[in-house]
Amino acid sequence: MLPIAIVAAYSLNVYSLLPGEHGFTLDGWRAFIHSSVYLGLFWKSVKMSLIVSVAVVALAYPLAYYLALSGTKRKYVLLLVLIAPFLTSYLLRVLAWKVILGNEGVLNTFLFWTGLRSHDHPISQLLYSRFAVMLVLAYVWLPFVALPIFVSLESLDRRLLEAATDLGASRWQAFLRVTLPLSLPGVAAGFLFVFIPTLGEFVTPSLVGGTSGYMYGNQIVDLFATGFPDWETGSVLAIFLLGVVTVLTAAFSRFLQGRQVAGT
Amino acid sequence: MEDGRDLFERRLSREDLLKLAAATGGAGLVAGRAGLAEAARAQLAAESGRLQVLDWAGYGNDGGQSMFAAYVKAHPKNKPQFSYMTNEADALAKIHAGAKADLFRPYVGWVKYFATSGLVQPWNPKLITNFKHLNSFMVKAGQYQGKQYGIPDDWGFDAILYRSDKVKPKARSWGLLFDERYKGKIAWYDDITMIQMAGLYLGFKDTWNQTDAQLKKSQNLLKSKKHLVKLFWSSETNLWEAFGSGEVWIAYAWPNDWVQMKKKGLKVVYMKPKEKPLAWVGMFMLLKGSSRPKLAHAYVNAWSSAKSGKWLEDNYGYGHANTLARPSSSDLLRALQLTNPKAVTLPNAYLDRDIPRRALYAKAWEEVKAS
Repeated sequence: MLPIAIVAAYSLNVYSLLPGEHGFTLDGWRAFIHSSVYLGLFWKSVKMSLIVSVAVVALAYPLAYYLALSGTKRKYVLLLVLIAPFLTSYLLRVLAWKVILGNEGVLNTFLFWTGLRSHDHPISQLLYSRFAVMLVLAYVWLPFVALPIFVSLESLDRRLLEAATDLGASRWQAFLRVTLPLSLPGVAAGFLFVFIPTLGEFVTPSLVGGTSGYMYGNQIVDLFATGFPDWETGSVLAIFLLGVVTVLTAAFSRFLQGRQVAGT
Repeated sequence: MEDGRDLFERRLSREDLLKLAAATGGAGLVAGRAGLAEAARAQLAAESGRLQVLDWAGYGNDGGQSMFAAYVKAHPKNKPQFSYMTNEADALAKIHAGAKADLFRPYVGWVKYFATSGLVQPWNPKLITNFKHLNSFMVKAGQYQGKQYGIPDDWGFDAILYRSDKVKPKARSWGLLFDERYKGKIAWYDDITMIQMAGLYLGFKDTWNQTDAQLKKSQNLLKSKKHLVKLFWSSETNLWEAFGSGEVWIAYAWPNDWVQMKKKGLKVVYMKPKEKPLAWVGMFMLLKGSSRPKLAHAYVNAWSSAKSGKWLEDNYGYGHANTLARPSSSDLLRALQLTNPKAVTLPNAYLDRDIPRRALYAKAWEEVKAS
């Protein structure tokens, strides 16, 4: 808590990096609240993170479902394959996408080879774009979502599914009425696992985002350490992000607790 | 020299004298005041420990060893130990946070800021034998109120690099970076110099000291043209990757970027805009709390030699302040205009200078990126 308290003190100008007169003021917060630029950037990042989180959950769920409920004997081997990329560094995994998405990358080279695109007209919107940021983030965070969903499906009492079938439910109805509701805690946990870190993400956008992929996290870093250090505004942005994430986490926890109570 | 002497004498604190007297069993006192001062000076002359250098990536043991090889040879027990700065703002934050460096390297636009900040002290040029070979315009740019706060070393220009097979500029102007015809093929530099550049393009008389209205205009120009820009580059490798693969065709760039892209076989032009390029010079600065000022002078002397200069030009593609240094590449010689000692000043270019309202400029640039 101490580092957070120090950042909060910087946001209120109680602490200041540079010597000179300083003291408690809400000016930084006032400027932030009235700044369409910073709030606009925050909203842009929220939208990007939401898209990534929803897409990752949608992709991870069938994967986790197959691993947990298909009855395959190789489920742990497949699970290992899913998390295998984590044996390499985060940075390396992001940089690998530059090799894939670039003008001379794997994807464009393939298109040249097939004759679908000429060398003079590669698809150049792939890299240094908002799309690239969301794609890479989705790739990076997929296993983090698949794992909690897998755990919640794995612990599902199979007798409930048998009971649903005995009562005449089709497989689809059993999924909608039994499996999905019972796996929602895992889905919610997975969603949060992605949404929270991607909201403050700055490494991926700085490597593959270009101008349009610039996110709120990048702005925090830049305010602290480029141009001229503006730790007050940087701290305001950081504390605001922390506040939003805390509220979201609390809301999700309440939601999950509510579901547990309803389920018992 | 006066400052150098002051420095060493100031360091003879009462505590030093007492320690010395104790160590010599009072011999110093017997020898008299002059002898004591001499003994103390000798003690201070033997500076100990590793020289602490706060510098940019690539200038330390991560590739820049040839630049200070002579220093390491002469002072094997005081080899430099590096910590890295990503820019001056980062260095400023680190110094204020208590980083114990002996010297660091801001660029010329920060000389006045640091000289007046109380964080640095002037160099003694007489302790730097290569000083006499350094470009006099750059040397002058390292001075504040007649004192040599910055020792110039690496330098270069900010101008426009473009692919001549893809781009047909309407004019020799910074305006090429705002050309709607090349949407998505332009790269800007991620730095507040973009505000200065915008000011030059808009014809402001003093782009380093823009009025509020001018600053707003510069910011609005950049905001309105940002949609044309594919990326803001912050390292040269970042730019080379994007430019070399054809992601971008036009870039705010340095001379070495032109050389590198030419080497890659691309048809490229390094265009000097009619509004004039900006020139930058790296300035070694001696931090006030340094306990190894002599070693710092020796280190800077090694960096300032013609041999080091040639190595820097050949391997990093930057210019070097030593006027005797010449690169092997005639292309680089031409791009840096090394035969013109006034290349970094008018009428050829604007040498970067102090920005009195730097914090406002930085905020304006950050808002451009966030918009």
